[in-house]
Amino acid sequence: MTGGRIENQIRTLRFLQGEMSQEELGRAIGVTRQTIAAIEAGKYSPSLEAAFRIAGVFGKPLDEVFQWKTGEKGTAPGTRG
Amino acid sequence: MPYREKVAWLSLVGMAVCYGPYFAVTHQSPLLDHPLPNFGLMSLFAAAAVGNAVWALLGRLLVQMKTPRDERGAADERDQAVDRRASTVAYYVLIGLALYVGCVLPFTTTGWHIVNSMVASVVIAETVRYAMIVLGYRRGLR
Repeated sequence: MTGGRIENQIRTLRFLQGEMSQEELGRAIGVTRQTIAAIEAGKYSPSLEAAFRIAGVFGKPLDEVFQWKTGEKGTAPGTRG
Repeated sequence: MPYREKVAWLSLVGMAVCYGPYFAVTHQSPLLDHPLPNFGLMSLFAAAAVGNAVWALLGRLLVQMKTPRDERGAADERDQAVDRRASTVAYYVLIGLALYVGCVLPFTTTGWHIVNSMVASVVIAETVRYAMIVLGYRRGLR
Protein backbone atom coordinates (compact mmCIF):
# COMPACT_ATOMS: atom_id res chain seq x y z
CA MET A 1 0.00 0.00 0.00
CA THR A 2 2.97 2.34 0.42
CA GLY A 3 4.62 4.23 -2.41
CA GLY A 4 1.41 5.21 -4.14
CA ARG A 5 -0.20 8.55 -4.70
CA ILE A 6 -3.61 9.96 -5.39
CA GLU A 7 -4.25 11.42 -8.81
CA ASN A 8 -7.35 13.34 -9.73
CA GLN A 9 -9.30 14.61 -12.71
CA ILE A 10 -10.57 17.78 -11.06
CA ARG A 11 -9.02 20.14 -13.61
CA THR A 12 -10.67 18.24 -16.50
CA LEU A 13 -14.00 18.00 -14.72
CA ARG A 14 -13.97 21.72 -13.95
CA PHE A 15 -13.38 22.37 -17.63
CA LEU A 16 -16.27 20.09 -18.58
CA GLN A 17 -18.49 21.96 -16.12
CA GLY A 18 -18.17 25.12 -18.20
CA GLU A 19 -14.76 26.16 -16.85
CA MET A 20 -15.93 26.19 -13.26
CA SER A 21 -13.42 28.20 -11.23
CA GLN A 22 -11.42 26.82 -8.31
CA GLU A 23 -13.11 29.41 -6.16
CA GLU A 24 -16.59 28.18 -7.12
CA LEU A 25 -15.65 24.57 -6.45
CA GLY A 26 -14.03 25.54 -3.17
CA ARG A 27 -17.13 27.43 -2.10
CA ALA A 28 -19.33 24.46 -3.04
CA ILE A 29 -17.46 22.06 -0.77
CA GLY A 30 -16.39 24.50 1.97
CA VAL A 31 -12.66 24.95 1.37
CA THR A 32 -10.53 27.80 0.04
CA ARG A 33 -9.46 28.32 -3.57
CA GLN A 34 -5.88 27.57 -2.53
CA THR A 35 -6.90 24.19 -1.13
CA ILE A 36 -8.56 23.24 -4.43
CA ALA A 37 -5.38 24.35 -6.22
CA ALA A 38 -3.28 22.21 -3.86
CA ILE A 39 -5.53 19.18 -4.42
CA GLU A 40 -5.34 19.61 -8.20
CA ALA A 41 -1.57 19.90 -8.04
CA GLY A 42 -1.32 16.75 -5.90
CA LYS A 43 0.13 18.73 -3.00
CA TYR A 44 -2.71 17.85 -0.67
CA SER A 45 -4.80 14.70 -0.41
CA PRO A 46 -8.32 15.67 0.66
CA SER A 47 -10.26 13.93 3.38
CA LEU A 48 -12.68 11.22 2.28
CA GLU A 49 -15.56 13.57 3.09
CA ALA A 50 -14.15 16.36 0.91
CA ALA A 51 -13.42 13.86 -1.87
CA PHE A 52 -17.05 12.69 -1.83
CA ARG A 53 -18.24 16.30 -1.84
CA ILE A 54 -16.07 17.11 -4.86
CA ALA A 55 -17.35 14.05 -6.69
CA GLY A 56 -20.88 15.10 -5.76
CA VAL A 57 -20.42 18.56 -7.27
CA PHE A 58 -19.47 16.96 -10.59
CA GLY A 59 -22.12 14.25 -10.29
CA LYS A 60 -19.49 11.53 -10.72
CA PRO A 61 -18.59 8.45 -8.68
CA LEU A 62 -15.53 8.91 -6.48
CA ASP A 63 -13.26 6.69 -8.56
CA GLU A 64 -13.83 8.79 -11.65
CA VAL A 65 -12.51 11.83 -9.83
CA PHE A 66 -9.73 10.29 -7.74
CA GLN A 67 -7.46 7.38 -8.59
CA TRP A 68 -4.86 5.62 -6.49
CA LYS A 69 -1.66 5.14 -8.48
CA THR A 70 1.17 2.87 -7.41
CA GLY A 71 4.61 2.54 -8.95
CA GLU A 72 3.48 -0.56 -10.83
CA LYS A 73 2.00 0.28 -14.20
CA GLY A 74 -1.78 0.22 -14.33
CA THR A 75 -2.34 -1.34 -10.94
CA ALA A 76 -4.15 -0.15 -7.88
CA PRO A 77 -3.95 -1.87 -4.48
CA GLY A 78 -7.54 -3.03 -4.57
CA THR A 79 -7.27 -4.56 -8.02
CA ARG A 80 -4.41 -6.99 -7.52
CA GLY A 81 -5.19 -10.69 -7.66
CA MET B 1 -0.42 32.55 -1.09
CA PRO B 2 -2.95 31.32 1.52
CA TYR B 3 -3.84 33.77 4.27
CA ARG B 4 -2.49 31.47 6.98
CA GLU B 5 0.81 31.04 5.19
CA LYS B 6 1.17 34.83 5.06
CA VAL B 7 0.49 34.99 8.81
CA ALA B 8 3.04 32.22 9.43
CA TRP B 9 5.68 34.10 7.41
CA LEU B 10 4.85 37.23 9.36
CA SER B 11 5.22 35.42 12.68
CA LEU B 12 8.43 33.75 11.58
CA VAL B 13 10.02 37.06 10.65
CA GLY B 14 8.65 38.60 13.85
CA MET B 15 10.34 35.91 15.94
CA ALA B 16 13.66 36.49 14.19
CA VAL B 17 13.45 40.28 14.31
CA CYS B 18 12.27 40.58 17.92
CA TYR B 19 13.70 37.60 19.80
CA GLY B 20 16.86 37.19 17.72
CA PRO B 21 18.45 40.41 18.98
CA TYR B 22 17.25 39.67 22.53
CA PHE B 23 19.04 36.32 22.67
CA ALA B 24 22.06 37.70 20.81
CA VAL B 25 22.41 40.40 23.47
CA THR B 26 21.62 38.31 26.55
CA HIS B 27 23.49 35.13 25.57
CA GLN B 28 26.59 35.06 27.80
CA SER B 29 25.67 38.55 29.04
CA PRO B 30 26.65 39.56 32.61
CA LEU B 31 22.94 40.34 33.03
CA LEU B 32 22.35 36.60 33.44
CA ASP B 33 24.42 36.62 36.62
CA HIS B 34 22.39 39.33 38.37
CA PRO B 35 20.23 38.37 41.37
CA LEU B 36 16.47 38.90 41.61
CA PRO B 37 14.86 41.24 40.68
CA ASN B 38 16.80 41.35 37.43
CA PHE B 39 15.14 44.43 35.93
CA GLY B 40 17.77 44.83 33.25
CA LEU B 41 17.10 41.38 31.77
CA MET B 42 13.36 41.66 32.31
CA SER B 43 13.26 45.02 30.53
CA LEU B 44 15.05 43.57 27.53
CA PHE B 45 12.66 40.61 27.43
CA ALA B 46 9.65 42.90 27.80
CA ALA B 47 10.93 45.01 24.90
CA ALA B 48 11.27 41.89 22.73
CA ALA B 49 7.84 40.55 23.70
CA VAL B 50 6.08 43.90 23.21
CA GLY B 51 7.93 44.42 19.94
CA ASN B 52 6.77 41.00 18.76
CA ALA B 53 3.17 41.74 19.79
CA VAL B 54 3.17 45.08 17.95
CA TRP B 55 4.76 43.43 14.89
CA ALA B 56 2.12 40.70 14.90
CA LEU B 57 -0.76 43.16 15.36
CA LEU B 58 0.32 45.59 12.65
CA GLY B 59 1.37 42.78 10.33
CA ARG B 60 -1.97 40.99 10.65
CA LEU B 61 -3.85 44.20 9.96
CA LEU B 62 -1.78 44.68 6.81
CA VAL B 63 -2.21 41.06 5.69
CA GLN B 64 -5.97 41.24 6.34
CA MET B 65 -6.26 44.39 4.26
CA LYS B 66 -4.45 42.72 1.35
CA THR B 67 -6.33 39.39 1.53
CA PRO B 68 -9.88 38.98 0.17
CA ARG B 69 -12.44 38.44 2.93
CA ASP B 70 -13.50 34.95 1.79
CA GLU B 71 -9.89 33.71 1.93
CA ARG B 72 -9.45 34.62 5.59
CA GLY B 73 -12.46 32.83 6.97
CA ALA B 74 -12.42 29.77 9.21
CA ALA B 75 -9.58 27.31 8.67
CA ASP B 76 -10.49 24.57 6.21
CA GLU B 77 -9.32 20.94 6.44
CA ARG B 78 -5.97 21.65 4.73
CA ASP B 79 -5.24 24.56 7.07
CA GLN B 80 -6.05 22.31 10.02
CA ALA B 81 -3.88 19.47 8.70
CA VAL B 82 -0.93 21.83 8.14
CA ASP B 83 -1.35 23.29 11.63
CA ARG B 84 -1.69 19.84 13.21
CA ARG B 85 1.52 18.57 11.65
CA ALA B 86 3.42 21.77 12.53
CA SER B 87 2.19 21.65 16.14
CA THR B 88 3.19 18.00 16.47
CA VAL B 89 6.76 18.70 15.33
CA ALA B 90 6.99 21.80 17.54
CA TYR B 91 5.69 19.80 20.50
CA TYR B 92 8.53 17.28 20.22
CA VAL B 93 11.06 20.08 19.81
CA LEU B 94 9.70 21.74 22.96
CA ILE B 95 9.75 18.45 24.91
CA GLY B 96 13.36 17.81 23.88
CA LEU B 97 14.49 21.29 24.81
CA ALA B 98 12.53 21.31 28.07
CA LEU B 99 14.13 18.01 29.07
CA TYR B 100 17.55 19.49 28.32
CA VAL B 101 16.83 22.66 30.29
CA GLY B 102 15.22 20.81 33.19
CA CYS B 103 17.50 17.79 33.43
CA VAL B 104 20.92 18.94 32.22
CA LEU B 105 21.27 22.68 32.78
CA PRO B 106 20.70 22.57 36.58
CA PHE B 107 23.95 20.57 36.82
CA THR B 108 25.96 22.84 34.56
CA THR B 109 24.64 26.35 35.19
CA THR B 110 22.31 28.29 37.45
CA GLY B 111 19.65 30.97 37.81
CA TRP B 112 18.90 33.22 34.88
CA HIS B 113 20.86 31.05 32.47
CA ILE B 114 18.27 28.34 33.04
CA VAL B 115 15.36 30.81 32.90
CA ASN B 116 16.63 32.32 29.66
CA SER B 117 17.19 28.85 28.19
CA MET B 118 13.60 27.92 28.98
CA VAL B 119 12.38 31.10 27.29
CA ALA B 120 14.60 30.25 24.33
CA SER B 121 13.07 26.77 24.20
CA VAL B 122 9.58 28.21 23.88
CA VAL B 123 10.71 30.70 21.23
CA ILE B 124 12.52 27.97 19.27
CA ALA B 125 9.49 25.66 19.43
CA GLU B 126 7.19 28.46 18.21
CA THR B 127 9.64 29.32 15.45
CA VAL B 128 9.74 25.67 14.37
CA ARG B 129 5.93 25.63 14.36
CA TYR B 130 5.71 28.65 12.06
CA ALA B 131 8.46 27.25 9.84
CA MET B 132 6.60 23.93 9.56
CA ILE B 133 3.39 25.76 8.66
CA VAL B 134 5.20 27.57 5.86
CA LEU B 135 6.77 24.28 4.70
CA GLY B 136 3.38 22.55 4.87
CA TYR B 137 1.88 25.08 2.48
CA ARG B 138 4.96 25.24 0.22
CA ARG B 139 5.74 21.52 -0.10
CA GLY B 140 2.25 20.23 0.47
CA LEU B 141 0.75 17.42 2.54
CA ARG B 142 0.13 14.05 0.99
